Amino acid sequence: MADPVSTTLPTDAVAQPVSSAPLSPLRLAVRRFRKHRMAMFGLGLLILLLLYISLGVLLSRGYCAPLKQEVSGEAWANCNDTGLKLQPPSAGHIFGTDVIGRDILARTIYGGQISVLIGISAAFVEVLLGAFIGALAAYYGGWVDNILMRFTEAMLTIPSLFLLIIGSHFFGNRLPAFNFLGRELAGGVVVIILIIGATSWMYLARIVRANVLSLRERDYVSAARALGASDSRIIFLHLLPNTIAPLIVSATLGVANAILSEAYVSFLGLGVQGATATWGNMLDGAYQYLETAPWLWFFPGTLILLTVLGINFVGDGLRDALDPYSTKHL
Amino acid sequence: MTTYILRRLAQAIPQLFIISIILFTLMQGFGDPVATLGARTPPKAEDKERLRRMLGLDQPAYVQYLTWLVGNDWQKIDMDGDGIPETNGRRKGILRGDWSNSLVTRRPVLEMIGDRLPNTLILMGAAEIVIIIFSLALGLYSALRPYSLFDNLVTGLSFIGYSMPVFWLALMLMYIFAVNFRAWGLPYLPTVGMFDPEAGKTPAELIRHMILPVATLSIISIAGYSRFVRSSMLEVLSQDYVRTARAKGVRTVYVVLRHALPNAALPFITLIGLDIPFLLAGAIVTERIFAWPGMGRLFLDHTSRADFPVLMGILMLVSIAVVIFQIITDVVYSLVDPRIRLE
Amino acid sequence: MKRNLYLLLSLGVLASMILSACGGAAPATEPPDISGDATEPAVTEPAAPAFSGTATITFTQEPDNLNYLYTEMWFSQITRDFWNKGLWSYDEDNKPVPEIAAEIPSVENGGLSEDGKTITIKLRDDVAWSDGEPVTAEDFAFSFEMVMSDANVVLTRYPFDEYVESVTAEDATTLIVQLKEPFAPWLTTIFDDWVLPKHILQPVFEAEGTIDNAEWNKAPTVGVGPFVFSEWESGSHIIFKANPNWIRPPKLEQVFIRIVPDDAAQEAAIIAGDTDIGVFLSSDQIEKLEAGGDVDVVAVSSGYSEGWFPNVNPDTAHPAMLDVRVRKALALATDRFTIVKDLLVQEVNPVNVTFWDGAEPYNNPALEPYPYDPEEAKRLLDEAGWVDSNGDGTRDKDGVELVLRYITNDRELRKNVQAVVQQQWSLVGIGAELQNYSSDVFWNGYNDGGPQSQGLYDIAQYSSVGFFPDPEISYNWLCDAISSADNPDGGNWQGVCIEELDALLKEQAETLDINKRIDLYHQISQILYDEVLYIGIWLDPDLWSINDHLQNVKLSGAAPFWNAHEWEVAK
Repeated sequence: MADPVSTTLPTDAVAQPVSSAPLSPLRLAVRRFRKHRMAMFGLGLLILLLLYISLGVLLSRGYCAPLKQEVSGEAWANCNDTGLKLQPPSAGHIFGTDVIGRDILARTIYGGQISVLIGISAAFVEVLLGAFIGALAAYYGGWVDNILMRFTEAMLTIPSLFLLIIGSHFFGNRLPAFNFLGRELAGGVVVIILIIGATSWMYLARIVRANVLSLRERDYVSAARALGASDSRIIFLHLLPNTIAPLIVSATLGVANAILSEAYVSFLGLGVQGATATWGNMLDGAYQYLETAPWLWFFPGTLILLTVLGINFVGDGLRDALDPYSTKHL
Repeated sequence: MTTYILRRLAQAIPQLFIISIILFTLMQGFGDPVATLGARTPPKAEDKERLRRMLGLDQPAYVQYLTWLVGNDWQKIDMDGDGIPETNGRRKGILRGDWSNSLVTRRPVLEMIGDRLPNTLILMGAAEIVIIIFSLALGLYSALRPYSLFDNLVTGLSFIGYSMPVFWLALMLMYIFAVNFRAWGLPYLPTVGMFDPEAGKTPAELIRHMILPVATLSIISIAGYSRFVRSSMLEVLSQDYVRTARAKGVRTVYVVLRHALPNAALPFITLIGLDIPFLLAGAIVTERIFAWPGMGRLFLDHTSRADFPVLMGILMLVSIAVVIFQIITDVVYSLVDPRIRLE
Repeated sequence: MKRNLYLLLSLGVLASMILSACGGAAPATEPPDISGDATEPAVTEPAAPAFSGTATITFTQEPDNLNYLYTEMWFSQITRDFWNKGLWSYDEDNKPVPEIAAEIPSVENGGLSEDGKTITIKLRDDVAWSDGEPVTAEDFAFSFEMVMSDANVVLTRYPFDEYVESVTAEDATTLIVQLKEPFAPWLTTIFDDWVLPKHILQPVFEAEGTIDNAEWNKAPTVGVGPFVFSEWESGSHIIFKANPNWIRPPKLEQVFIRIVPDDAAQEAAIIAGDTDIGVFLSSDQIEKLEAGGDVDVVAVSSGYSEGWFPNVNPDTAHPAMLDVRVRKALALATDRFTIVKDLLVQEVNPVNVTFWDGAEPYNNPALEPYPYDPEEAKRLLDEAGWVDSNGDGTRDKDGVELVLRYITNDRELRKNVQAVVQQQWSLVGIGAELQNYSSDVFWNGYNDGGPQSQGLYDIAQYSSVGFFPDPEISYNWLCDAISSADNPDGGNWQGVCIEELDALLKEQAETLDINKRIDLYHQISQILYDEVLYIGIWLDPDLWSINDHLQNVKLSGAAPFWNAHEWEVAK
């Protein structure tokens, strides 16, 4: 319990006897997914949120008084006018303004891009690390397995938020700013991605290890080995692809966890620093205005909630859809 | 059984060593603990150098680790700065029960943790009880009426609860029940702290101040747990012996309470058992928002000052507890379920 | 196997801790006594004054330790006016008032020798520790011994290591401090606000070889002051009770310090009237706090001002920073007046000029803050050769873009100021790369990669002070204190080295005549001002709230609670 940064929802393991026509596994999965009402709702929610952070950019424009000109795009999100600080939501600033008079609507749009970027990249790092370590341990077995699994267990023993805090202190501010897709991003973005990825791969490593262990002795792997395929070829071409279903589900839920992790770390003041907004760091310090300016924390907080909710719904649907033994919801 | 427990304990030792090495390595990347000792004014150059020497911070990381682990009381150390070790070391190392002293308060780490642990346990213990009661009740009810309106509602809400960032929930609860209720003239709850100084630290005050943080922690966790209870109940209910019992006309309530619940409770016990040690860590975010003087706050405060003996102490305590509770859970499990035998 | 045993032992400790914690959890500790009906059996004097009322004070940080030797933390230091008085304290005008000393030593009264190297302090003969033992010059000599002992890991030995030759007790009431050379800040650095009880700590020192772990450090039940330590519950509160043995007996029965590590919580407590005194308030909350009519917010300077420290070290700074015109342009391009008006409170936090604006009389009233004049800034930059030759909106010269690293710690207000300044600079074509560090990293030493000490910045912003009310802070600007690989502990992180400034700084440190010293400081400020080596942003006084429930509170910047014995609760 504590702060549930990386607990995974227990699987709903209900088996309901239903029959279905033979279909290809992929089509079967798609069909199952589409019949999963909550998953479809989650998907809809996510699409709306993605439209918000992408097309929302078009709405991001206004007259920046201190610069004495009309600005648009990220310049508007960063335009501060201290004379207009802490304005409640109004026609000019639909979500109100923050402590230095920046438009919160625009900042949630641009901050959302970073939060989603962090979520996806961190989940990617997580999957990469988890799959690599899990596969390595299972394929080689013996002392490699022993060392890697002891390490995994050790990491699992430390509560994840503690690991995140220590990690962000360890790596904090060691990378310079960089340019990504035309946006100038603080180096902290990469740092936070790496930290979240590096502190969340453990469950995945275990799942992959268990899967690979069961696959390792299958005939096709033996055949590949007999044909002289290299270890890496066997691991990457034969073993990992067959564990793809749990990888996809973990990756999806990993995105949600990473977005939450970023928010927690930022909330504690250890997240992305500098002018780059994220949903998380918009909340940093906002709780000081609990009473006087609730819009400061309400909007970014709610967007985080909706995104995580949508991803969890989709993840749940994916899990059911990709599990060949699951006939639930059909 | 005894052999099993001893063997598990023996296995835990290398694990704890690995944990301590990982953590100690990470903490080398922290700032200089001496740099923030002066609080508002950074200490002077001569003082910094002397402090680093006296506190052993000028030693290589592995020496610092070994000192932390086994102490240095058989060695001479250089206190006067002439380069010649002359004073007997005083530290005994964690293996001999000396959890070191905090660099910033100079107090023994174990004592500092001991000061905060009760506060955390009160908060987290209360939350855990609420969580168990509610998740069992909700999970059971949902499982008995799967796919009913109530079940769908609970499922939906539990997803929302599970997806809710702790701080968002905490702020919302505080905003509604402490700030707005007060503004509307309704009976309101206090925002932060453990008690009002005017009223003193009475049980009533404690309970009043606990309501919001406990609610925050509970709502977040009940979500996941009740679904867990529901699914393990459904699994048991779909098994042949239960179906047979039901088919024979045994009353549902009886079947559930007598046959299904004990079986479904097993995985739940495991889940709770594995969760308890994490209680020690407190809830960093929740304690931060509600200004609760627990372990989470202690950790956070000393992180920003790079006080690694305190951080190591807290994390090792949690790790040890996790390992012990893993063993306890296994043992309890084998006691409850006769099918499992511990080798 | 032995390791196994130790581990088991540790586990045993853990188990017992958990058990004891569980056992002690429910009833918690007893409520602090507020009602005033506590019996004080220690009071034996016939005319024992009646104490009544509690002063509740909120601290946003918990003291690390209460012993002077082990902390320089402000929140620990200010409590000593309750329970651990020194030779003298400072009144609301920051003038010294004698406490244990019978009078303030001066050349006139013979306390200070002509050469400024011998200080003879007469102690009162009627001062006793709270347990009845008299306070004598021996206690001070012992305190000196403890500071200098290699067995004690004391936080700072300054100035005892550099300037003090010896501290001796000539007799019970005569203390002689022999200096190595005249030392101007002696009044604010030598036993002004502390002394250790020899009769308590000497036995500990002899038994344990150190007083690092003395019980007294966290529970100093024997003290010397209007109150005496009673209880400290970590993370929650500290209680001091009236001490009838102090020469100026208090009126209050107790002082209750509540640890509230959260600004919003402190504000709520102030508004609700739960706390009598609060501190470190943010100036944008003043109106809200005073709205109820019971609370007064007062600004008391303890010398701090927020400022920019430009890096001018040729090895590490941006080349533009070495040009005084560029530094001047930075100041002119920043509308610090609007920042102060909108983000702080102008009356409380005006833009400061010199480092010593908060430390009267050492400020230089002849100087005016650099105005906001972007046009002049542009002109200066053009003149210095920094023009936007490639049309990217940022000035450049010889292929180097004028993008400056502007760093500070992770405090919310500073981050906000950074963002505002970045936008203001963009109007004159200066780029800013903003960085924030957590405090432990921000103040890190050279060898630990501290961004300031290694010069990884062009502008560093923070709030600082000297030995308030003394202005001394020379190490910030002395040539031989420049930090580098060879001098990793050097305190001059800006790389400032100006011969004339160096000489003035050294001269003032040994100048005992206050008027002469003020004049030296005027010259020092003038150089820093002309060379733009310090850019003031705002004056940073401490904001205190006082509830009118508590009366006669006269806060002082140097020793806020100096008159705690006069405090009383409104009837």
